[in-house]
Amino acid sequence: MIEPFREAFMNRISQSAARPWARLFLSAVALAAFSVPARAQTKIAIGCTATSDCASAMVAVDQGIFTKHGLDAQMVRIGINSTIPAAILSDSIQIGGPTESVFLQAVDGGLDLVAVEGASRMDPIANEAVAAFARNGTTLKEAKDFVGKKVGAPGIGAFLQVLFVKWLVEKGVDPKSVNFVEVTFPTMSDTLKSGAVDAVLTAEPFVTRMTKAGTGYVAAHYAAELARTEPIISYVAARAYAEKNPEAIANFRAAIAEAADIVNNDREKASVSIANFTKQPLEIVRLNRPNLAAPELKSDQLAWWLDVMKQQNLLQSQIDPSKLVFP
Amino acid sequence: MRLDGRAFVLPVCLIILAEIGARAGGPSDSIAPPSEVLVAFVGALADGSLLLATRDTLASAFGGLAIGGAIGLALGILLGSVGALNRLMEVTLELIRPIPSVALAPVALVALGFGYRLEIAIVAYASTWPVLLLTRSAVAGVEPRLIEVAQALRLSFPARVAKIIVPAALPRIFVAFRLAAGFALIVAVTIEIAINPLGLGAGLMTAGQALRPELMLAYLLWIGIVGFALNILLVFAQQRLFGRAALVGDIR
Repeated sequence: MIEPFREAFMNRISQSAARPWARLFLSAVALAAFSVPARAQTKIAIGCTATSDCASAMVAVDQGIFTKHGLDAQMVRIGINSTIPAAILSDSIQIGGPTESVFLQAVDGGLDLVAVEGASRMDPIANEAVAAFARNGTTLKEAKDFVGKKVGAPGIGAFLQVLFVKWLVEKGVDPKSVNFVEVTFPTMSDTLKSGAVDAVLTAEPFVTRMTKAGTGYVAAHYAAELARTEPIISYVAARAYAEKNPEAIANFRAAIAEAADIVNNDREKASVSIANFTKQPLEIVRLNRPNLAAPELKSDQLAWWLDVMKQQNLLQSQIDPSKLVFP
Repeated sequence: MRLDGRAFVLPVCLIILAEIGARAGGPSDSIAPPSEVLVAFVGALADGSLLLATRDTLASAFGGLAIGGAIGLALGILLGSVGALNRLMEVTLELIRPIPSVALAPVALVALGFGYRLEIAIVAYASTWPVLLLTRSAVAGVEPRLIEVAQALRLSFPARVAKIIVPAALPRIFVAFRLAAGFALIVAVTIEIAINPLGLGAGLMTAGQALRPELMLAYLLWIGIVGFALNILLVFAQQRLFGRAALVGDIR
C-alpha cells in the first residue's frame, strides 16, 4: 500500500528540487520516512501443547521461516489441549493446534473454527509409538482382556482414547465394559506402579521409559492395528480471523510447508526446536522421531474423524466436513 | 512469630525418608529425590525463571486481592450497616457465592484471553467472598452503644463508617484479608495450572510435561515458601503497622 505513495514522493523530489540543498533535505526526509520495511510483519501467536505435533511451527519460529514470510510469530505453550479453542476465540492466540477430536467437539459445540493447515498425521511410525501399556501382574493381550479393567487415558474424548475405543469396537468389544479414568502422561508410570489402573493409553517416549523402568508391558499397539493415516493435529483459526486475514493465512501456510520439510528430513533441527519449545531434555526428544509433519489437509481426512466420533456419541450436531478446512 | 527449633524435626525426618524412598523406588516421571529437587531449585533461582514466575503469580494474586478485597470490604460494610439491604441481597449472594472460582475459568478465558486480566478477574471473584462475609459479620457485630453514640453525635454515614464502624471491626477485617490473601495465592496458582500460561502454576505444569519431576517439585516447594512468607508478612503488618486496633487474640 505504501509503494505508490513512495514512488510519487520520490518523483516529486527529482522534479521540484532544483536547488541542491532542497534536494538534500527532501532526500533525507524521504529516507527517514521510508526506511521502514515496505511490508510490515504481521503478528500472530500460535498456541500448542508440549508435543512434537506442532514441530513445523516450532521449526518455522527457530529457523526464521515465519519472519521470511512476513509473519512475526510467537509460540505459546498451552497446558491442556482442550483449552485451545477458547484461547483462539479470545484472540489470545490467532492459530492453535488442537487435536482433531478437540477441534471437532469445539465446532460441534458451536464455535466457528476452521482448520487452516495440517500439523501432523498418523503414519506407521507414529502409530507404532502409541500403545495400551499394562502394569505388571495383569495379562492383557487382546481387546476382550480389557473388559472390566480400569484404563487410564490422558483425557476422555482425547485423541488416544477415541482411537482406543475405535479399536475396541472393531474387535467386537463394548467400550462401556471398560472403565476409563483420566491420568496425565507424567504420572502414568507411578499410577500403574500403585495399581490404581490396570493399563494406560500412552505414546513414546513414555512407552520406552516405562518398559525400561520395568513398570509393565505393551498390551496392544492399537493405533498400529488400526493403521490409519488421518491427521492428528491441525492448525486451527477462528473463521472470522481467517477471512479477514487471507494474506497472513497464505503466508502461514507457505512457512509451515517449508518447515514441514525440515521436520521430516532434518531430525536434529526438529529435535532442537521441539526441546526449545517443550523444555524437554534434548536427549529424550532425540530418542523418537517427531510425528510426521503433514501440511496438506483435506476435508475428507476429517470426515473419518467425524464418523468415528459420531459412533462414540461424542458429537451431537451435523457437521459439514467441507466447511472445516479454510479454502 | 517465634519458631521453635523442634518444629523442624518432623520435616527433616520426612525429607530424609523421601530421599531414601525416591531412590529405592527407581526412576519416576513424577517423583524425585529431595537432593535433586534442591539442585533444580537452585538452578531455577539462578537463571531467574523462578523469580519471573513468582512476579507474575504475585502480581495477579495481589491485583485480584486488591480488587476483590475492595469490593468485599465495601459491600460488607454496606450490608453489615443496612439491615434491610442485607436481607434483600441474601438470596442473590448465596446463589452466586457457591460457584467455584475455577469453574469460571473457561468462560473467563473466552472473554478475557490469556494473561494477567484473566487471572486477576478470577482471583478478585474468589477473594471478594471471605472479605465480604467476615466484614459484614464484623460490622453487624459492632457494639450497639457505639452506633448509638454515632447517632447521638449525628454523624453522617461516611463519618460513622470511618470513625466508628471500621475501627471497631478492624481486627476481624484484618483476619478476613489474611484469609483472602491465602485464597488469592491458591486460586492464582490453580488458574495457572489449569489454563493460564504464566506464573508458578504454569512453570509447574511445564516442568511436569517436560519430564522434569525435580523441577516440578522445586516449583511446588517454592509455592509453599511463598505462601508461608506471605502469611508472615501479613501477620507482621497486622502486629506492627496498624497498631493495637488491628489485634485480636492470639494471631499466628
